[in-house]
Amino acid sequence: MTTPETAVESTREVAFRSSATRPGSVGLIRQGWAEIWSRRRLIGYLARADLKKKGADTLFGNLWWIIDPLLQMLVYVVLVDFIFQRSVPDYPLFIFCAILPWKWFTSSVYDAVTSVVGQERLIKQIHFPKLILPVASTTAAVANFVFGLIPLFALLLLFFRDRASWHVVFIPVIAVVQFAFTIAFCTLVASVNVFFRDIGNVVRHFMRLWFYLSPGLYSLAALDDQMKNNPLVAAAVQLNPWTWIFESYRNVIYSDLFPYWYQLGVVFLLSIVFFALSTLLFKRLEPSFAKVL
Amino acid sequence: MTVAPDSATPARTPVPVPETSGSVAGHPEADAAPRAVQERASAPVVIDVRNLGVKYSLRFTKKTTLRQSMANLFRRDGGPTEFWALRNVDFKLVHGESLAVIGPNGAGKSTLLQVLAGIITPSEGDIDVRGAISSLLTLGAGFDQDLTGRENIWLAGAFMGVPHSEMARRIEPIISFADIGIFIDAPIKTYSSGMRARLGFSIATSVDPDILLLDEVLATGDEVFRAKSKQRVLDLVHAAKAIVLVTHDMNWVTEFCNRAMLLEKGHVIAEGAPADVVKLHVEHSREARARKAAEIAAIGGAPITR
Repeated sequence: MTTPETAVESTREVAFRSSATRPGSVGLIRQGWAEIWSRRRLIGYLARADLKKKGADTLFGNLWWIIDPLLQMLVYVVLVDFIFQRSVPDYPLFIFCAILPWKWFTSSVYDAVTSVVGQERLIKQIHFPKLILPVASTTAAVANFVFGLIPLFALLLLFFRDRASWHVVFIPVIAVVQFAFTIAFCTLVASVNVFFRDIGNVVRHFMRLWFYLSPGLYSLAALDDQMKNNPLVAAAVQLNPWTWIFESYRNVIYSDLFPYWYQLGVVFLLSIVFFALSTLLFKRLEPSFAKVL
Repeated sequence: MTVAPDSATPARTPVPVPETSGSVAGHPEADAAPRAVQERASAPVVIDVRNLGVKYSLRFTKKTTLRQSMANLFRRDGGPTEFWALRNVDFKLVHGESLAVIGPNGAGKSTLLQVLAGIITPSEGDIDVRGAISSLLTLGAGFDQDLTGRENIWLAGAFMGVPHSEMARRIEPIISFADIGIFIDAPIKTYSSGMRARLGFSIATSVDPDILLLDEVLATGDEVFRAKSKQRVLDLVHAAKAIVLVTHDMNWVTEFCNRAMLLEKGHVIAEGAPADVVKLHVEHSREARARKAAEIAAIGGAPITR
């Protein structure tokens, strides 16, 4: 690997080695994570460029990040409150606790799908660690969530003041867990999409189903009966990371409670393992990117 | 000079490097070429390629969808599923040498440069490169259309792994050489193709590399800029410790290089003094043209017999 950081003026001692024999699994994961760290500035540039582009070519610019979750909330409120008549107290806030993180997740994943394929020309012409591409797109998508916090706090302060509590200070903690899971998932889809260009379609439908099967529009308590009757459903619900992410957000924003600490911790640790595995897959596939693209 | 009899066999015979290279003496630009060939044995190796092979899997090349790859999986109608773009390539480049890689289209010349630049990982064998490498393969590639010229310079520097402080020093010379005036702070999508090419060239040549990889890049921009850019490339050629040049222009080979390598179908056919290798290449391509002409005549004249 070229290590530009060691460059000393014009007399630099850069050695570069490219070989058919590559490091083992642990070596590849370590190499991948070292690349992310050493190229953090590039990740920053890419993320900023990404944000600039997204804001530049729409009428309201970044205002959409505020309007969008509100409109989506309105759709679900009309659907559930008025049409299905399933009344949950303060349903707009209840549902917003799920829409906000889920929008962040989906936008991260959709951007990540094309993150590697979209840089086709660069990949064929410059040598750089490709892992930074999904990492940068996932990092840029964090802004989506940060902007979404504005309407959340507006809702809390203007309409649901009695629900507002100091527990919202735990939102960043839950967000870190979500980010760990998201980056692992994004790295996976970014690498697979190089080989199967229609993975985006598959992922889109898979994610829609995933949202409806996770306790986002409804509470975990609504699944109690099914979970009791069918151990398979119970296991699936327990293993779904989104069960605990949604429920934790709802605890701190809507219910004036602590997050599910234990379950969140498990999700976080498993996400790290997942990220290690998707990094490994990415690094294994990386040498063929320039040939396949 | 002996030459491998069949282009398909990996065997090759190195041509002994003569004391003086085959450059045209007295030519104004020829002084780059006669690098100290005598020192070859003692000079440090900067590029070491051992048994290099690059394989392309035909199953996965080109945009695949799930359906197509399922179809590929079940289709067993034979046909090759892999293709070696390079095979059994061995060479060393020492400090002070400039190597020209020549050969017909599709011989693997550009693939070789891509491997040396680290863009493609070898399928077998290894390469060692000692020194900072710069490839002029990158002219204007991957400019972000929505960012300004200046932002793109920073981005390109970050992609190439140039440290921030060094980039801060380089940015003004890059801008002044590209000579695009106030457009430097306008989005790239507003640039003319000439401006884009100038900026790309300026970024790509702003480095002071130890090893320079060149892939026929001189046809850039208008007349004035072309003269300016040729001078820039010559400066780089003079400054670099080693050069690998891919070209179809035989004048460049004899003028700037003190070694040459002939690639055909991914194999090294000959290696040695530029004049000798160029001669062989010219012979081979004449034969190939004759063969092709005969084939065309056969197709045109009688039913095809292959």
